[in-house]
Order: sequence, then structure tokens, then C-alpha cells
Amino acid sequence: MSGIHVQELGKRFGDRVAVEALSFHVRPGEVFGLLGPNGAGKTTTVRMLTGLLQPTEGEATVWGHRVDRDGELLRKVVGLLTEQPGLYDRLTARENLRFFMKLHELDEAAAWPRARHYLERFGLGGREHEPVGGFSKGMRQKLAIVRTLVHDPKVIFLDEPTSGLDPESARTVRDAVAELASEGRTIVLCSHNLAEVERLCERVAVVKRRLLAMGPVRELRHAGQALEVRVEGEAERFRGALAQLPFAPNVLAEGPKLRVMLADDAQAPDVVACLVGAGARVHSAVPTQRPLEEVYLELLREGRG
Amino acid sequence: MAFRPKRALAVFWKDFLDLRKNVGLLVSMMVLPAVMVLVPIGVVWTYVRAPDHADLRSVALFYDPTLPLGASAARFLIDKTLTDWFGMFLVMPVFVPILIASQSVAGEKERRTLEPLLASPVTAAELVTGKSLAALVPSVAITWTAFVLFCVGVDIVAWPLVKMPLMPNALWTFGVFVIAPLFAFFGNGVAVLISARVSEARMAQQLSALVVLPLVGMVGGQVAGVLKAGFGYYLLQGAVVLVLDALLLWASIRLLDRERLVSRWG
Ligand SMILES: Nc1ncnc2c1ncn2[C@@H]1O[C@H](COP(=O)(O)OP(=O)(O)OP(=O)(O)O)[C@@H](O)[C@H]1O
Ligand SMILES: [Mg+2]
Repeated sequence: MSGIHVQELGKRFGDRVAVEALSFHVRPGEVFGLLGPNGAGKTTTVRMLTGLLQPTEGEATVWGHRVDRDGELLRKVVGLLTEQPGLYDRLTARENLRFFMKLHELDEAAAWPRARHYLERFGLGGREHEPVGGFSKGMRQKLAIVRTLVHDPKVIFLDEPTSGLDPESARTVRDAVAELASEGRTIVLCSHNLAEVERLCERVAVVKRRLLAMGPVRELRHAGQALEVRVEGEAERFRGALAQLPFAPNVLAEGPKLRVMLADDAQAPDVVACLVGAGARVHSAVPTQRPLEEVYLELLREGRG
Repeated sequence: MAFRPKRALAVFWKDFLDLRKNVGLLVSMMVLPAVMVLVPIGVVWTYVRAPDHADLRSVALFYDPTLPLGASAARFLIDKTLTDWFGMFLVMPVFVPILIASQSVAGEKERRTLEPLLASPVTAAELVTGKSLAALVPSVAITWTAFVLFCVGVDIVAWPLVKMPLMPNALWTFGVFVIAPLFAFFGNGVAVLISARVSEARMAQQLSALVVLPLVGMVGGQVAGVLKAGFGYYLLQGAVVLVLDALLLWASIRLLDRERLVSRWG
């Protein structure tokens, strides 16, 4: 059973519930985003899925290994990029990588070409013999990613891989993630960076302790469809008429502009007909998509509590 | 979960490498052995310098009123110093592993390296074994090296008076090779357990270091003439520590698991 299956997963620390009733499924080869604000339980979820924390409720399997029982086998097939790079400063880049090769009991002669490939890819080639203490933040993060890959993991968990990086380094890291995805690896990416999730992930779960929404990024955007209508005079007075529509859309009115939230494209003609019926003189009606950020923030607002 | 020696050795390899590059720690590790070796040599030397000083006899009689009239007080005091100092010497095998293990376990948390480490296949038992070896091997090596230097030093300064090598004697040889490793195991176990619970290496070191106080206290008792050190006395200490070692091992196996290590941020 490949991929990741999460069933009603929950974790509490004493009285504090960090994650509850989380269910999702990640297909092999998919890039899946876990999107949520600070303290949403992303790191806790990833820690449970890599066998570092025991779930207090529910169960999950990663590549067929139960996270609560098969920790050792599980950790052989997963790679975890932790929130902090966590490198040994006094050791060189090479020694840092070598340590993890040994921990994975790899044949070093076979493992080095892959490591070197990624080192080169990240512009760290030629710096392997320097102590990591002298590396910049971005270099450390990149080295930590290389370390995550030394054992050629099938599933990779990336906990905020670009946090704290300058735009250029962040871009290198994003490109690398895209490249890993194209190699057919299964990737779970935690982030609160919407643009990043949007660019890299096929599907995303919005979490805040529990699951708020899940689906392809396109569909989430879809949830953010609206119709922008310009009428003559104050738009406010048509609010009442729109409320009579069978699907009672959310409406924002500002000057001559109306913003009508839609669940579906097919509702647009009804909105226009309703406005005309109420005596509005319609100048234009333009379907728009709310930025993902707005959708996201709205989800979080709805999911408060 | 099977114990894989290779992974424990990987941890040992890494920690040893890290220790070799940690100049500050190396220096603080060397101060103690230097004191342990130089102080008793100095004391022996003061006795040898003026063996016929009248006050030496009064001091010797304080410790042993039955000292025969013909016996050399200086020689008696040298023997007593050598016997008593072993109690002090034991501070070294306890303390050096505390220095190293606190750094290596709490240090992993402090530098946030523990999480990636625990995300690898290494088991808690392998981790503790590797880290313990990395603390014990250097400590025992330092203790033995200090012992050799101590023997050579004492023999050189005592030669003019006793005209024969005093060291190594049976007590010290047995003590250094059997009792000292038991003490090292103890210091390491305490440091590992405490380090797993606190988040800072410095705090782990300070708390663990408290265990040397009873040792120093006992040496104080010896000097005050309250406790009389000898083979049986040290053997008893060794036996007590052996029991404590077993308890520590049991506690580490019970208390150290991934979850605890990851979630104790302190
Ligand atoms: N070991 C722990 N002990 C107690 N509470 C914890 C522990 N780890 C996490 N928590 C709590 O669980 C909640 C979720 O934390 P988590 O780190 O998973 O969030 P996150 O989504 O990764 O946040 P961020 O974006 O800031 O990284 C928080 O309220 C946090 O305080
Ligand atoms: Mg987090």
C-alpha cells in the first residue's frame, strides 16, 4: 500500500489539542500541501507521520507502514526536512551527510554520487569540506535538504522549506522541490506561504487544528469565484433584491460596485437578471476570482474556535 | 526493534569527531586530570624534601597513634596520601563523561539537531549507546593516561626517600582499571538522563556535576581522619556504584524514547 493514508488522526499534549480528526490521503507521486497558520498543527502532523510522535487518536500509514508501530521501517522510506536545519556546526558539510549515510547504513560509495548531484544542484559543490558553522542560512537549508535525500526516500516531508530564505534561495529550493516531484517522489509540503503551495502542490489541505478544506488548488480558487457588477448609482440599494435569490449569495457593495460571491459560474446570469429585474442599469458584469489568500483567510475565519 | 551496532557506532563516530573539534570542551576536560596528577605529586614532594621534620611525626600520629617509633613518618604520610588520593582521583572518571555527555545529548536539543537525528532509523537504545561510548571511551582513556603520568611522577619525586618504585600498587591498579570505569559509567548515565530532560547543555552539566559532591565529601572525611580509606573501603564504593549503574541502565531504557526526547523542549 503506497501513498499516505491518514484516518481521524489526532494528537493532544496534556489538555491541549494540537491536531484533531484529521483525515486525508496522498497518492504516490503527488505533491500535497499542508497549509495553515502558526500553531495549526502542521509540524505535529508531520512528526506523527514520521514516527517521532505517537498519535493519541486515529491511525495513519505511510508507504504501508503504520506510524504508531513500524517506526523503524517507516523512517527508512521517509525523509524529513525539519523546521530548523539542525546541522552539526563543527562538522563539515561532508561529515554531516556522511553521518546520515551511516545512520541509514548506506553503502557510501553508492550514496555519494546522489548527494554530490544535489550539492552541485544547490551550488554547494566545492564547499563540502568547510565546517557548516560558516554557512549562510540559505546554504544550511539547502544542505539540510540534501541530507533529507541521502537515502533516496520515497516520501519526503518538507516543513516550511523556504522560511527565512531570501527570494533567490527560496526560488532555488522551490525549483528543487518541483524537480523532486518530477522524479516521481511523494512530497508533503507544510507552509503558510500561499504562493508557494499554489505553485508546487497539486492538492492542498487547509488545516487549523482540524481540516478546514481540502482539494486541488484550482478548486479552492473556484471557491473564491465572484461576479463584479457595476451599476448606475449606489449599489447598496440592490442588496435586498439579491438576498431574495434562491442561493442567497454573499454581497459586498461599495459605491457603484457590487461583489457577489458565487458557488458556481452558472449563477452569474441569475444575478444579472435579478439586478435588472430590480431596476438596476448594469454597466458591466465581470466574473473574477478572489485571490487564494482571501479564500484562505475566509476559511480560517470560518474555522475559528 | 533490532539493535544495529553499526548505527550506534555511527553516533559514536559523529560525537567523537565533534568532540575533537570542540577546543573549549577539550581544554576544560584537561584541567581536571592535570590537577589530579600534579597535586599529589606536589604533596609527596613536600614530604620527601624534609622527611625528618619533627612536625611530620605529630601529623602521622594524628592519623595513626599506633605508629611504631622507628617507622618513618614521611613514608607513612606518603602512603596515606596515595591511598586517600585515589578517592579524589575518582572524581575524574565521573566528571569527564558528565562534561562530554551533557554536551552531546542536551547539545543536540540546544542546536535543534535531535529532531533530524530521531527522524533517521536510529533507535533510542542505539543513540544512547553511541553517545555513552563517545563519553566513556575518552574518559577512561584520559583516566588511564593520567594514572600513568601520576605513577611516573610519584616514583620520580619519591625515589630519593624510598629508593624503590611506589606506584603502581595493587590498590591503584585495581581501582583504576575496575572501579574507575564503573564510576565513569555512573557519571555518564546521570548526565544522559538529566540531559534528556533539560534543554540546555550548561544546565545539564551543572546538575549532573552535583554527583561528584559526595565523592569530594568522602575525601574530606578521610583527611579529617573520620573515614579510613583502604582496599575494602574503595571496594565498597565500587560495589555501591555498580548497583547505581544497574539502576541507571534500567532507568535509561525505560525513560528514553523518541517521543520524550522530541517533546521535551524544556
Ligand atoms: N511537544 C509539545 N508539547 C506541548 N505542546 C505542543 C508540543 N508541540 C506542539 N505543541 C502545540 O501544538 C500546537 C501545534 O503546534 P505545531 O508546531 O504543530 O504548529 P505548526 O502548524 O507547525 O506551527 P508553525 O507554523 O508555527 O510552525 C501548538 O499549540 C503548540 O503549542
Ligand atoms: Mg511548524
